[in-house]
Amino acid sequence: MFTLPQKEFRMTTACPGSDSIQDLPSNKGDGLERECSRKPDQKLLKFYGVGDPAAELSSSSPYLSSRGSVIKWFWDSAEEGYRTYHMDEYDEDKNPSGIINLGTSENKLCFDLLSRRLSQSDMLQVEPALLQYPDWRGHLFLREEVARFLSFYCRSPAPLKPENVVVLNGCASLFSALATVLCEAGEAFLIPAPYYGAITQHVYLYGNVRLVCVYLDSEGVKVKGLILINPQNPLGDIYSPGELQEYLEFAKRHELHVMVDEVYMLSVFEESAGYRSVLSLERLPDPQRTHVMWATSKDFGMSGLRFGTLYTENRAVATAVASLCRYHGLSGLVQYQMAQLLRDHDWINQVYLPENHARLKAAHTYVSEDLRALGIPFVSRGAGFFIWVDLRKYLPEATFEEEVLLWRRFLENKVLLSFGKAFECKEPGWFRLVFSDKTHRLHLGMQRVRQVLEGQPQLADGAPPHQIQEPQGPHR
Amino acid sequence: TSGPSDTPHTPCVQMRDQALRYRSIHTQLMEMVLTLQQTVEDHIMQLTTRPQQRDLALEEQWHGQAIREQEALLGRLLFQIVSFLPAGAPGDQSVQPPCTSTDSRGDVGGGQPVQANRQTGQMLYQESDFENTVISYDLSNRGIDISALYHLSFRDYDTYQGNKYHKDKNTLGYINLGTSENKLCTDLLAERLSQSDMTYVDEDLLQYTDWRGQPFLRKEVARFLTFYCKTPKPLDPENVVILNGCSAVFSALAMVLCDPGEAFLVPTPAYGGFAFSTHLYAKVKLVPVHLESQVTEANGYPFQLTVDKLEHTLLRAKIEGKKVRGLVLINPQNPLGDVYSQDSMMEYLEFAKKYNLHVIVDEMYMLSVFDEAITFHSVLSMKSLPDPNKTHVIWGASKDFCISGFRFGALYTHNREVASAMSCFGYLHSISGIAQYKLRQLLQDREWIDNIYLPSYHFRLQEAHRYVTRKLKASKVPFLNRGSGLYVWINLKQYLDPCTFEEELLLHRRFLDHKLILSPGKTFMCKEPGWFRLVFAARPHLLRNAMRRFQQVLVEQAQERTVKQLEDAMKEEVSTPQPEAPASPALRKS
Repeated sequence: MFTLPQKEFRMTTACPGSDSIQDLPSNKGDGLERECSRKPDQKLLKFYGVGDPAAELSSSSPYLSSRGSVIKWFWDSAEEGYRTYHMDEYDEDKNPSGIINLGTSENKLCFDLLSRRLSQSDMLQVEPALLQYPDWRGHLFLREEVARFLSFYCRSPAPLKPENVVVLNGCASLFSALATVLCEAGEAFLIPAPYYGAITQHVYLYGNVRLVCVYLDSEGVKVKGLILINPQNPLGDIYSPGELQEYLEFAKRHELHVMVDEVYMLSVFEESAGYRSVLSLERLPDPQRTHVMWATSKDFGMSGLRFGTLYTENRAVATAVASLCRYHGLSGLVQYQMAQLLRDHDWINQVYLPENHARLKAAHTYVSEDLRALGIPFVSRGAGFFIWVDLRKYLPEATFEEEVLLWRRFLENKVLLSFGKAFECKEPGWFRLVFSDKTHRLHLGMQRVRQVLEGQPQLADGAPPHQIQEPQGPHR
Repeated sequence: TSGPSDTPHTPCVQMRDQALRYRSIHTQLMEMVLTLQQTVEDHIMQLTTRPQQRDLALEEQWHGQAIREQEALLGRLLFQIVSFLPAGAPGDQSVQPPCTSTDSRGDVGGGQPVQANRQTGQMLYQESDFENTVISYDLSNRGIDISALYHLSFRDYDTYQGNKYHKDKNTLGYINLGTSENKLCTDLLAERLSQSDMTYVDEDLLQYTDWRGQPFLRKEVARFLTFYCKTPKPLDPENVVILNGCSAVFSALAMVLCDPGEAFLVPTPAYGGFAFSTHLYAKVKLVPVHLESQVTEANGYPFQLTVDKLEHTLLRAKIEGKKVRGLVLINPQNPLGDVYSQDSMMEYLEFAKKYNLHVIVDEMYMLSVFDEAITFHSVLSMKSLPDPNKTHVIWGASKDFCISGFRFGALYTHNREVASAMSCFGYLHSISGIAQYKLRQLLQDREWIDNIYLPSYHFRLQEAHRYVTRKLKASKVPFLNRGSGLYVWINLKQYLDPCTFEEELLLHRRFLDHKLILSPGKTFMCKEPGWFRLVFAARPHLLRNAMRRFQQVLVEQAQERTVKQLEDAMKEEVSTPQPEAPASPALRKS
């Protein structure tokens, strides 16, 4: 097993694997990872996100267990922006001065298409069997459909098998279940940062598993796996087949499980981006340790539907995850609807995907032009719902406190963004801006962003400790 | 050589005999290892034996199959040993969740190959992929534990899923009167859920929402419980947390109320799923408050729960150094079907308050009280709760509305800290917005519930209960005659000789052999062997068939007992050592 105490880590830096570690978050050119990875002499260890919540809890509750208090702390602390937003949601008619949410990565562009599709008569089947206890790994009809669907859209060299599919109520549950069955409490997964921060909570809640960012050395924590998000969140980056292969080889060398989260795989709206699913690779270096995740939350704009799926050739892992499915099941009726939806390739190919991509692209163009006009550097590669925006020059000091202050200023001006700290970005000043929203909301949201930035004193170029490197390449 | 499936089950039969005795953990482990050793020897023998000359192809086929079966068995044995080790940690005398599995573990998968043998080599138990990958270096220890626990606890259920009885298509399939699932009114539900008001889809339903449950559903659940629990004041939707099933609610509650190794008191016999739910993620133990069937001065009626018993158990737990954080009550009780009186409930709550315990009240079956003479009092109907901040109520629609596949469970708690800690689990136990909408529509349709659904439901429960109890009486099987729940708690002690849990398990297996699933008392942590839970919430044709199989098993069991007694008598007469009468299929008629 690949443990990462310092001496072993040095061993790995000496081997070819080190390159893959350091280059993993390959948004070359923004200086971000370079900054992160080239400072091995700095602070060496941090459990990201989780830190040591117990230490931050000043008072213990008379009602909750100690882990209960930690769990509550998660709920109370992590949700500030989200809750403020829910108390004051923007509504064109009822609450035009409410908050616009450009923070949550949801696709709000295609509800019309989906509502229509989900209201068609083929969706309305209610059979008694759908109302009873199911096969906990998912009704067979759905698993068959998922296998077919993934074979087709991931372009797998051979048809995928239904018995390798486990269906749960979303990828959060999947992360939780995998963390539980692959790791002992206190062990860790590697993850390239910045990354979708909620994973921290997913693997911690039940699993008590930590995340270790790839650019960090660590003190004797046992690493069991590597999490890859492709297309990446929040960078919107896409790994090339070559890179992917390299990371997988790296994982194999160190006997690490690889969890590939492909939840944005159909949200690549720039065709030139050349996205390839890990399932399309001719040969996986370590198929028994490669676990692929997909869900309808993002690609089908249905985050509230709660459908996620695991594809793994490892039967032991599939069985162990399925053993937890009793706690993460989804309604039989919804399973039926999902099977109907995934089966309808005509609609997906001819109606949904072209329209979804066109709308994503238009929204992306609008926001990126706006940012360019403001002279704001950003990273984005034509996948996902977000742009990773560099607002470092708007921070009077390069600290996370200042980052939160700027974030609050946005919130006060009724627009919710996500700050870089939430993605465990090491540099203060980065924000994720979600553009997959209806035109009028997006325009208003960008206007509010602009207002804040224009009212914010800008630092002269060169003033911050780290000079910004302008993003390069097609995403400019 | 013998037939293909004879060899692999030899050790199982032996193992089964060995399983007939009470054993310490060490002995169990030792036996497992010995069995393993023998199986390995058998296996090697098989591998080195050449098929005989004539009919070579057939022989080879047999040979190959025998080897495969042995490999599966080997894997299973190793797996059981591996998973036994973390579970059988020393100093742990409280009932471990694998209460079913302690048995099954000892039994070393005896049922499966035997099944296979009878059915001309066809593997009826879904061996699936489980055994092929048993020793996995990919899983963490707890991952292995979870897999094993699940497999052993839900083996019967999985078997049933793979071979369900169907009145036209599969008359030889399993009839499941073991799982407490309500199949009486699926027609009504299917019809109601097909109506046009159910098919609404809008943006809100497709987006991330409040992780505690959609506000509209929490509001409706509060209203619904206010009405059906007859609460003195309207319940507050802010106190409602909705997750995908009561197992999930229970699991999350165990997480936020207890630290690993801490415990809940639970009067037993009690629904065995609790043990699974508290152990799986939360690693919380259950300390059983053993109730007794015998009516005595202290025991006014069978399995009566008294504060005295609670105090005794709590004291013993404290002496043993266990940290008890709460008390779990099920009302109406599962599997007994008892409904607690208001006074008793108040006593239990006062007890909990006195000793600073949380109380989790599971009212899963509150609308399944079918005897009109019985009034159910929800804990939420009390004018004042002794300790409202430590009283947490669970309800779900699975049982009362026949929709176990819907995945919906609700917690009602006055404690905002608990509610918000629970909310965190909304990420992991969320329900689809579309399903939440349908649930709201269902729960708010009082007219349908009161005028159509509940009357038909209760009528059908009464009918089914009457039918089953009549049959039981005819067979002279004692049972608790209660008026709530989907099940009767029956006493088959007279069919066990000797009256042990091992015999109980064998009887359970005999039911399985006849394609009938019942739940043995051991899975409910019952202290006395011989009790079974029989779920009667099934449609009439299914129930008729099931009771036929039930009676057939009892007849066989009685015959076998007679034979055995006769042999014992002869043995004494001759007073020469005779081989023990095998409790194996050999003597059975089938």
